[in-house]
Amino acid sequence: MALLPLANILTRKVRTTITVLAIGVGVALFLVLTGLTSMLREIADRTTRVDAHLMVWPASDQVVVSGGLPADKVEKDLRSIPGVTRAVPVLRWPFKMAGRIQNVYGIRPEDWPFFARPGALVEGRPLEGGWEMVIDSRLAAAGDFHVGQTVERWGHTFRIVGIAREGVAGRVFMPIDTVSLALQQADRRASFFYVRAADPTRIADLRRQIADRGLSVFTMDEFYSVLASSFVDMDLVIGAVVFVAAFVCFLVVLLTIYTMVLERTREIGILKGIGASRTQVFGLVMAEAGLILAAGILVGFVMTFAGRILILRLQPLWTIEIPAMRFAYAAGLAAVGTLLGALRPAFRAANQDPVESLRYE
Amino acid sequence: METILETRGLTKVYRADGVATPALGGVNLAVRKGEFVSIMGPSGCGKSTLLYLLGLLDTPTDGTVLLAGTDTRGLGDGDRTRLRRRHIGYVFQGFNLLPTLSAEANVALTLKLRHRPVGDAPRRMLAAVGLEDKRRRRPSQLSVGEQQRIAIARALVTQPAVLLADEPTGNLDSETSDRILDLVARFHRDLGQTIVLITHNQQVADRADRLVRMRDGRLIIS
Repeated sequence: MALLPLANILTRKVRTTITVLAIGVGVALFLVLTGLTSMLREIADRTTRVDAHLMVWPASDQVVVSGGLPADKVEKDLRSIPGVTRAVPVLRWPFKMAGRIQNVYGIRPEDWPFFARPGALVEGRPLEGGWEMVIDSRLAAAGDFHVGQTVERWGHTFRIVGIAREGVAGRVFMPIDTVSLALQQADRRASFFYVRAADPTRIADLRRQIADRGLSVFTMDEFYSVLASSFVDMDLVIGAVVFVAAFVCFLVVLLTIYTMVLERTREIGILKGIGASRTQVFGLVMAEAGLILAAGILVGFVMTFAGRILILRLQPLWTIEIPAMRFAYAAGLAAVGTLLGALRPAFRAANQDPVESLRYE
Repeated sequence: METILETRGLTKVYRADGVATPALGGVNLAVRKGEFVSIMGPSGCGKSTLLYLLGLLDTPTDGTVLLAGTDTRGLGDGDRTRLRRRHIGYVFQGFNLLPTLSAEANVALTLKLRHRPVGDAPRRMLAAVGLEDKRRRRPSQLSVGEQQRIAIARALVTQPAVLLADEPTGNLDSETSDRILDLVARFHRDLGQTIVLITHNQQVADRADRLVRMRDGRLIIS
C-alpha cells in the first residue's frame, strides 16, 4: 500500500517539488531566524562572563549604550557600601570594525585580569595605556586583523596589541581614558559598573542599597532579560516572519493535496469500487501528505545548514545557534501544518460518492 | 443451485436541485451461483445504476439487495464495504487501472486493500490472462485489450463470489472484444465464476447463459 502514495506524488514531480520546497523553506526560516536570537544570548553570556555579581547602570532603561556615570565618583560611592569588594567601571561605546559596529569596552588596564582569565590572550599583550586595543579572536578572524596592525578611527590611530580568545566580555578593549579622550569627555565616564560582593548571599541587600542611590542594578542572570527587552522588536519581527512562513506552508499543502484529490476523483471511485474503505482512502491521502512532509523536513534541514553557513560567511560575527531539540520542534510544527492542510482534502476524498466519482470525466 | 445475488423491488431515484429522476423502478432479479447473466438495454435505461446497486457502491431508494444471503438494507458504509470486499469483483468500463502502478501492482492492490497476503497470486492471475511477461509495465505501456485483461485479473484475484462487469468491451474493437469475452467465458466455464455483465451489444449479451433486458429502469425479461 505504501507504493501507491509514493507513485502518486512522483507523478507530478514539479508540483511535489514546489510543495516540498515550501515546507523546506518554512522549516529553514524557523530554524535560522530563531537561531539568530542566540546572538542576544551570546552577547549576554560574554558580558556576564566576569567575576562579578551585579551590573550597575544609570537609572534609565537604556542598557545598550550609555556614557552617563562619573566613573571615579560612582566607584567610590559603590565601594563605600559594606559588602562591596570591587566596582569596575566600563565605558562602552560604538566602534566600527570589520564592517560592523562593535561595542568598545573602555577599561582600566589594571582591571584586565578581571575580564580575562589567565591564558585568555592568544597573541600579544594586555592593555597598558595610550592609543591601543585588544580584540577577540573572532573579530580578528572576521577582519583579518593581527597584532601590530593599526586602525584609524575617531581621528586617531589605534594599534592592536593583543588578541584574546573568543568569549571575553567585549570584542574590543581599550584603555578607558583613551576612549574618554577620543570622545572628548571632560572627565572619566562609565557606561556601567561590574560589582563584586564579599558575600553572595547578601546580594539582595546590596541591590537595595545601590538602588537607593538612584542607580539601576541587575544580577548577572537578569542581564539577558534586560538585554532582550531592548530588542523586543526583533522578537516580534522574527515571530511574524515565522508565523507567515508556517501559514504559507499550510496553504501550499492544502492547495496541493486538494488539487491532487480533485484530479483523482475517478481514481478514488475506482479504489472504492475495488474494495477501499473510507479509512483507507483517507489514509492514502494522508500518506501522500506525510511523504511530502518528510521530504520537506529533510530539505528544510539541509537548507538550514546551508543557510547558516552562508550567513556566517557573510556575517562572521553573527551567532546562529540551533539546539538539537529545535530541529525536532521545527519538524513537529511542519508536521502540524502539513497534516492540518491535508485533513480537509483527505476527508473529502474519503467521503466522495463512489458512483459520482466513477461517472466523473 | 443457490441464489448468490438477488434484488427485491429495487428502486433508485436520483434527486438534485429539487428534481427527482427515477433510474430504477422495482427491479426483481435473482442470479444463481455459477450463472453468467447479461443485462442488456439502451443507453440510459439504468444498467449501470443496477450494477452500482448490485455492487453495493450505492444505496437504493427502496427495495433491497441480498448478497450471499445477507440483506444489505440499512447497512452502513463500513458494512457494505466489507461485503463488497468479500464477495464482489468489479470490472469497470474503461478499465480504470491506476496509472501510477504497474500491472502486477494494480492486481496486487485489491489483495492489499483486503489485508490479504499477496504472495504470487498477482503473477498467477496475470499468467491466467496471458500477461505475466508484461507484469512490470504500466497501463500507458499496454494496449487497451491488455489493460482490460489486467482489470479482469484485478477483479478475480480475490476469488469473489460474483464478478460484475460494466460494459467490459465498450471501448474495444470487435477482435479485442471477442478475446475479452473468451477470457470471461473461460473463467465462467472452468472456475464456475458467477458473472453479471451489462452491455448494449447483442453479440456480447449472447455469450451469457441468460439474457435480461432493461428499458426505462425496469426489467423486461427476467
